[in-house]
Amino acid sequence: MTMLRRTRSALPGVVMSAPAIIMFGLLMIVPLALSVYLSFTNWNGYSAHPMGVGLANYRRLWHDPEVLHAAWVTGVLAVVGTIGCNALGLGAAVAISRPGKANRIFRAVFFYPYVISALIIGFLWSAILSNGGVINNYLTSHGHEALPFLSDPDWALGSLIFVVLWSGFGLTMVLYIAALQTVPASLIEAARIDGASPWAIFRQVTMPSIAPFVTVNLVLVLVSMMRVYELVLALTGGGPAGQTQTAAYLILGQSFQNNALGYGSAQAVILTVVTGALALGLTTLLRRRETAVAA
Amino acid sequence: MSNPTSRRSDRRSPAPSRSGAAGLLHTSRAATRWAGLVLGSLLMLVPMYVLVVNAFKDQDDIQNSPFGLPLSRLTLAHVQDVLDNPDFDLVKAYGVTLLFVVVVNVLSLAVCGPVSYVIARGRGRRHVALLLMFVAGTFIPNQVLLIPVVFVLKTLGLMGTVPGFVLFETCLTIPFSVFLYAAYIRTIPRELDEAAAIDGAGRIGTFWRIVFPLMRPVVATAVILHSLSIWNDFVTPQIILGPGSGLYTVTTGVYAAIGQYSTNYTVVFPNLLLAIAPALAFFIVMQRYIVNGLTSGATKG
Repeated sequence: MTMLRRTRSALPGVVMSAPAIIMFGLLMIVPLALSVYLSFTNWNGYSAHPMGVGLANYRRLWHDPEVLHAAWVTGVLAVVGTIGCNALGLGAAVAISRPGKANRIFRAVFFYPYVISALIIGFLWSAILSNGGVINNYLTSHGHEALPFLSDPDWALGSLIFVVLWSGFGLTMVLYIAALQTVPASLIEAARIDGASPWAIFRQVTMPSIAPFVTVNLVLVLVSMMRVYELVLALTGGGPAGQTQTAAYLILGQSFQNNALGYGSAQAVILTVVTGALALGLTTLLRRRETAVAA
Repeated sequence: MSNPTSRRSDRRSPAPSRSGAAGLLHTSRAATRWAGLVLGSLLMLVPMYVLVVNAFKDQDDIQNSPFGLPLSRLTLAHVQDVLDNPDFDLVKAYGVTLLFVVVVNVLSLAVCGPVSYVIARGRGRRHVALLLMFVAGTFIPNQVLLIPVVFVLKTLGLMGTVPGFVLFETCLTIPFSVFLYAAYIRTIPRELDEAAAIDGAGRIGTFWRIVFPLMRPVVATAVILHSLSIWNDFVTPQIILGPGSGLYTVTTGVYAAIGQYSTNYTVVFPNLLLAIAPALAFFIVMQRYIVNGLTSGATKG
């Protein structure tokens, strides 16, 4: 057998890998490299030769209030969205993880936004929350004042976070339900017989068992929070006055609408690096804690 | 809210040994759980109710009683208007998007299947490196990548074309597919490959004829999840196909149709309803498979 394998040519392996490698190289790695290159130029998208400007684009980032604000919004989304989705998802999972008809319906109800395009979800909530929207129509026709859900900067950010959680915690919940099913029932039973309180059992039996899933869920949600775009586009259009622009929203607007490809690329590079670093850092940190908790 | 143990005791209650105070605590906990679940469900479902009901109402009714259901004045006129929109043929967009879903899935399988097999069966460091490279693609915010992708596609003469769009959309499926397939193929015994080799099958033949048929569950998972993300993708078709191509997917078409009419709710609600309907129908039929697919994807991480 070993003889056979050695003498067999490497060609089939190459043929089988080539399409994926070429495609990935051409449409992922080359663009990424191109982004890095363009970030050191002042290219506007159509001039023949991009001019090198060194680190100027990166220096400009630190003083650009629009960029700093988008970074702030993205940061808020990352922290509140990640923690919120996981807290809501875990809470819901714990409440309805047992099989049964009612629980099955609750699961579907909490999860269904997952199958809807973020763009459509954004439009729907915009129709509900905007000044002439459903809720404000209802309020004003009942003699109340309209609420600035999308027209006041702070309210708008709050609305954005709310819609992110509304549409996002279902996925986290589904993954936590699967996680809870891996916790040995005998372990919980034993702790219960020993007289442990429900909360103690949750902290000391359930949580250590599902720790690896917590890691996966936190990282998954974090990465998705770093790229929120369509929801912003449809819900607030980045407004009011650019106050709810996320990093991804600013980058796409920046590069295409203002023909500032060099500057937009610098932002894209930073966002990619930060996302990768956060995901990697969080994974390493949590993996270490997983073993600590399990011990 | 509730937790595993209290749920456990739900089933046994009323336990004869339970004291009055504990019983009361237990009842109040169950009540809190139900209240939370019902309230949460309302919050999830009211937007959907608003969407469905208002798609069949006139602007006056939407304005004056957005939550009302005036049975006698419901109308199909506005839904019909969406279907008759001369600028955006929604039925055609359904077909176009569905075609994209099918083509990208087939292409994705053809591209990702074989390389996953090579990775899963390889023992070298380069195989690990290859897997890591593909999986790292998960962390690249892909809309951000679209800017340089446009220029790569322009160079290749594929910008604004269907092949260009399909290729990039397929490329987006690589990280998840390879990750899932490689993990699954590792669970298929090598002896099968070796038996096929003895029978004279080449590696490519062995993969497609022996291994691939065994991958049905994991392929189903990938196809379902990719189908949803292709169907729902907005940025990629919007930028690569562009409004100029005249070719709309459901999302880019709805975006164009709603665009300047975002306060005319007789345009907004019917458009959104028709955009959501196929995905929701798919969800209702395939819910179990979607959930299982997601779960198997995440637990392998």
